[in-house]
Amino acid sequence: MLPGFLAVGVIATLVLIVGPAIYAVSLSFYDAPSLTSEPVWVGFAKYGELLVSAEFWNALRNGFVYAGLAIFLQVVLGIGFALLLNQRFFGRTLLRGLAFLPYLLPTVIAVLTFKWMVDGSLGIVTITMADLGLPPIYWFETETASMISVIMISVWLWTPFVTTTFLAGLQTVPQQLYEAARVDGAGPVRRFFHVTLPSLRPILTVIILLRSVWMFNKFDVIWLTTQGGPLGATEHLPILSYRKAFALYDIGSGAAVATLSFLVLMVAVTLYFLLFPMEKAK
Amino acid sequence: MTKWTSNNGVITRRQTLLGASALGAGLALSGLGAPALRAQNRPIRFLNCETGKDSLAFFAKAAQEYQEKTGTEVIVDSVPLAETFTKITNAIRAGQPYDVANVGFIGHVLLLAEQDQIVPLNELTDEYEWGNNILFPIDDKVYWYPFDYNLALVYYRKDLYEEHGLEIPNTWDAFAGNCEALMEGRRKGCLFPIGSNSATNWMSFGFMWAEGVKLFDDQWNVLLDNEEMKPKAAAYLDFMAKLYPMMPPGALQASYGEMLTNLVAGAVAHGSYAGRVYEVAERENPEMAANFGVMPYMDSAGEQKAVSHGYDGWVVLKTDNTGPAMEFMRWLTTERMVEFLHTAPVHFQPARLDIYENEEWQANPLVQKYGEAIEVTRGLITDPSVVLTSIDTQGPEPDVRPGTVFEAFTLPEMLQNKILRGMDSGEAVDLAAQTMRQLID
Repeated sequence: MLPGFLAVGVIATLVLIVGPAIYAVSLSFYDAPSLTSEPVWVGFAKYGELLVSAEFWNALRNGFVYAGLAIFLQVVLGIGFALLLNQRFFGRTLLRGLAFLPYLLPTVIAVLTFKWMVDGSLGIVTITMADLGLPPIYWFETETASMISVIMISVWLWTPFVTTTFLAGLQTVPQQLYEAARVDGAGPVRRFFHVTLPSLRPILTVIILLRSVWMFNKFDVIWLTTQGGPLGATEHLPILSYRKAFALYDIGSGAAVATLSFLVLMVAVTLYFLLFPMEKAK
Repeated sequence: MTKWTSNNGVITRRQTLLGASALGAGLALSGLGAPALRAQNRPIRFLNCETGKDSLAFFAKAAQEYQEKTGTEVIVDSVPLAETFTKITNAIRAGQPYDVANVGFIGHVLLLAEQDQIVPLNELTDEYEWGNNILFPIDDKVYWYPFDYNLALVYYRKDLYEEHGLEIPNTWDAFAGNCEALMEGRRKGCLFPIGSNSATNWMSFGFMWAEGVKLFDDQWNVLLDNEEMKPKAAAYLDFMAKLYPMMPPGALQASYGEMLTNLVAGAVAHGSYAGRVYEVAERENPEMAANFGVMPYMDSAGEQKAVSHGYDGWVVLKTDNTGPAMEFMRWLTTERMVEFLHTAPVHFQPARLDIYENEEWQANPLVQKYGEAIEVTRGLITDPSVVLTSIDTQGPEPDVRPGTVFEAFTLPEMLQNKILRGMDSGEAVDLAAQTMRQLID
């Protein structure tokens, strides 16, 4: 028999996570134009419609592009900033605090601030560029620019998390390893690739995994900036799911997109664990 | 024996216990009776979507007044308009339906009516005269109480027109010419949203309606790409592509906030919105407020005018509290209607025609100050020659199909295909028509 506290946890998990998840998956087998209408069983029809639709594959591709590029940049910049902040210099503590600041901002505030800063008529960035004689940047006006813009915002917002985590990791690397490498004649680059990076590998593995899951499911930045546009250029699976369920009120399709998104993520995470097993990372 | 005394003399403990028993029995009986009493006075749950400061204050005050008058509590929840339908349907699903709700999209009203969740409001609407194309009756039953139009109008700068000797344009070419003439420094000629959002659906297709484009025939077949409509829709796209270089960067992202700010700050010479521009300008930039004039959208040949719907109204849900909810609605729409409309006096363009003659409504300082613009908008909802429509109200009768096209942003994407991808106008129209067919199939 389960101890009382464990039973509470199991019940809470069943009620708050497993139950809604099963309900959401079950909705994907029904056709319903709203939450109040009588749902009609359609089996796998919604999945069939999605898998032959261009918008699903477009959203899947966009999700990989958005998550992949954002994570790559967050990790590269995060390690770079962590290495920088790990050096001894005057004002290091202050700079570390400031570097973490974007992560503390509510996403909605950060995104809306960015949007108004680059507003085409009144944004401070636009006006400053015009004053300097530079042409305006059409941040969200083309398909490529929109994707770059949402990636930029995501990198700005979440690189501090990666930086902080790596910074913590760097402080656990034994200094003797660096001293030994120096004695053996290793320069900074070799020390980074042969001492620092292998020491950070467990953290790197976890960070990439966490950030992949978070970025693939990230909804707020894209919704607050482009809502998936223009012409679906930044629409990924969470946005597609939301649009289907709560804009077009095709609840079944929305649930089917969410279920497929979950499956894609499951496959990706499993592959990741196969390629980079945690034991090996240790 | 322990004794207690009162002003009247000595009370024994037995008497005290008897008294307490009687009091307890009385309380218990009153408790038994309470559910019946509560049933009579069940609170009315009202979902409001007018989230302006003054509108919120009005509903708080109205709820208090109604409770004082009738003893019935009114609980007002407020959410942004975009979240209304989800909130309404979630509440129904959760077994806690709202009794009255504010809905800003006729497709949602129709869905709720189809699902037998709302009741006809003819007993409230039949006694009044209404502006054109606002009641959307189904088999003569009116399922909502529209309180305003919020027509999307074209705003222009009267001061700049005077300074440059410009006249109100009647054709697309004249309009584009005026936009070009008023570009100066950072000020752009115009702003019409082109993103996939409701602002574009509302504010950017008036030119297309004026040109006579219709989306559906009487049998709900898509007309957009037929011989008659396609050249008109393509011409509209060419016209918008001509305007695009005269817009500030960001037209793709422009929604309501950006449009208001650009107009009120004087960053554009023309733009689109409802009466809220005057109210925001009055508050933020009073000098600018006096400079704005309004006009309807025009066609290419100077023959036809159009405006886009942006209506709002209330529905009464079918609950065990529908009767009291109807009574509350009767009180709200007769006793407090003008007071409510005064919470955004120029923006809430009355749908009920008698309001325009109401002395109390006319006495509002902003209504008086912007009387000229209000007269223009009043003419637009009563003049049968003016095309008064929107994507979601297209078709032979009220129906959810055009609503689906609206929500899928099919026409904004047609605009984007032309403007951002440089697609041939005819091809963009064909693609939009094809998408529409898939959506309503």
